[in-house]
Amino acid sequence: MSREHDSFSVISINHEVAPLEVRERYSMDDTKVGALYANLRANSQISESLVLNTCNRFELYTETGEHASEQCVLETLAKAYQVDIEDLKAHLHLRSGRDAVQHLIEVAAGLRSQITGEAEIFGQVKAAYAVSQDHGYAGKTINRVFQKGFQAAKLIRNTTPVGQGQINIANVAVDLAGKIFGDLNAAAALSLGTGEIGEKTVKALRSRGAETFGVASRSQKRAEEVAREWGGIPRLLQDLEMYLPEYDIVIASVGADEAVITRQIIKRCFARRKGRPLFLIDLGLPRNIEKGCEDFDNVFLYNLDDLATIADENLAQRKQAVVDARTIAEQKSEFIWNAIVKRREHEKG
Amino acid sequence: MSNILFGLADKQWIWVATVVFASTFVLGSYSALKLRRKTGRPYILGLVTFGWVLQTIGLYARGLQYGGCPLSNQFELVQFMVWSAIAIYIFVGPAFRVSLLGVFTSGFACIFSILSLVLQHWDNPSREPIFGDSPWIETHAALALFSYGVFGVLTLTSAMYLLQSRSLKTKNVVGGLFPFLPSIVELVSINRRLLLMGFVILTVSLAIGYKYFIQDLDSVLTIKLAATIAVWLAYAATLLLRQKFSLSTKKFAWACIGIFVAALLSLAAVNRSTQPNGSHASLATEHSQDAP
Repeated sequence: MSREHDSFSVISINHEVAPLEVRERYSMDDTKVGALYANLRANSQISESLVLNTCNRFELYTETGEHASEQCVLETLAKAYQVDIEDLKAHLHLRSGRDAVQHLIEVAAGLRSQITGEAEIFGQVKAAYAVSQDHGYAGKTINRVFQKGFQAAKLIRNTTPVGQGQINIANVAVDLAGKIFGDLNAAAALSLGTGEIGEKTVKALRSRGAETFGVASRSQKRAEEVAREWGGIPRLLQDLEMYLPEYDIVIASVGADEAVITRQIIKRCFARRKGRPLFLIDLGLPRNIEKGCEDFDNVFLYNLDDLATIADENLAQRKQAVVDARTIAEQKSEFIWNAIVKRREHEKG
Repeated sequence: MSNILFGLADKQWIWVATVVFASTFVLGSYSALKLRRKTGRPYILGLVTFGWVLQTIGLYARGLQYGGCPLSNQFELVQFMVWSAIAIYIFVGPAFRVSLLGVFTSGFACIFSILSLVLQHWDNPSREPIFGDSPWIETHAALALFSYGVFGVLTLTSAMYLLQSRSLKTKNVVGGLFPFLPSIVELVSINRRLLLMGFVILTVSLAIGYKYFIQDLDSVLTIKLAATIAVWLAYAATLLLRQKFSLSTKKFAWACIGIFVAALLSLAAVNRSTQPNGSHASLATEHSQDAP
């Protein structure tokens, strides 16, 4: 059902309507955003504005005067991009009134993100709102829509699985580590190998509270270099059996034809671990850890395929949850918008 | 014969409490499994506490007839054990920060409560004072049953451990209860603490019982004595082996579940072997009914 255009609207250039090369053309740096804000303020027909500018999305929320149309906003934007207004119109979404509020809630909750349910966008929308508010570009309508919109987005993220489950391999591994050890502060992690995927996993573990790391390489020099860079204790791969029992999480990504960790090694180190669980993450190809290692109680072995499958399942689950999440967004936007309309009518007289 | 309190008979209060436990279990499970929402602790805790208060009123009403704890038949023993398990969840559970524990505990309470209410022969009409003049015998019985409540909660957390461990082992970690269960390390720690707590309470209870047993060796039936010692020894051995890391956490969890089931069965056996209308002059009969 089409709705009449309202004074509150959003213009969005995003992955749904514009391919990457178009989004590149319409991306803005901070200086250009500042200039756009200045032009919007200079336009007497536009009373409020907010720019959301991320690597994958450009959005302009505006409140215009009673008799102004969206044309004045489009003209200001086309001028900022120095393109023809028709060219601009071909690559954007324009929504107004309740639809614009619903759009904002869906964006903030991650429902409209390229990676469904990603959490980063919520912080980006909040930061954009803070800029608009600090500089006095936001007024009654934008303040109301964004403050209530944030509450609705939080509700969606807290009550639906749309943001649940990690969808990249390093984060899936870290999530599993959390399910085994709880607080990762007390868990010591060892990276066998100094490759990129190992580094990403170490960083992800650190971001979730892990503090003790070991970095093992075949060469002492390389181990020391990388340990300095990543933060950790350098270890020689050849001495693995000596220090393996000290670690709870082992990330293996060594270029080797044969398994680096065998069932026998795990069996020998088991007694020294006093029943503490051991999480083995095999990111190597060919595999670095013998399959039989997971036969022991409290030893959990995940390889690349296992982690990728979980990431895929999580993504599928998030996509399924979008339907329910959209229903909440619709209900909340209706409620927020009705309150705004009532207030406007009340103010008019 | 029933005792009326605030307009309801003791058993009616317990029925209402059971309905609250059942509703909590259904709501919590639906919220986690269907809506995929974390069952908020305050909401579950509130409902379980409400059910527990209703059950307390029911047990109090019944206890008024004895002038002491209602522990005279199998219905009352089971109800007191359920009451103890819920008390542990309410007063100690929040420290564990396990969101699903309330759902599991209400399920446990609901099953045992319904069982004790439906099996009417469990509630034989013994309504005489059962502990004589000694408050210590009553304390012994109450503590023993309370330790069973702790072991009941331990059974639930052991089941949680096995579920979580199995999910991780089979790599079935998307959906189901997995996102709502605590970590393996946390569950291991909770299990160890609960076992220690239950074991200490049971030991104190048995120490009190022993003091009276040596004064009158005929006061306790051999089957009851053997069952009690077997349960205590089984928990002691499990605790010792775990402390020495000689028992894997998985075997530990299975042992906790197994011993609890065996202890419940032995409780029933002891109760059946007891003469229902035995001489009250000696404490033997009643005492044999009240504790493991």
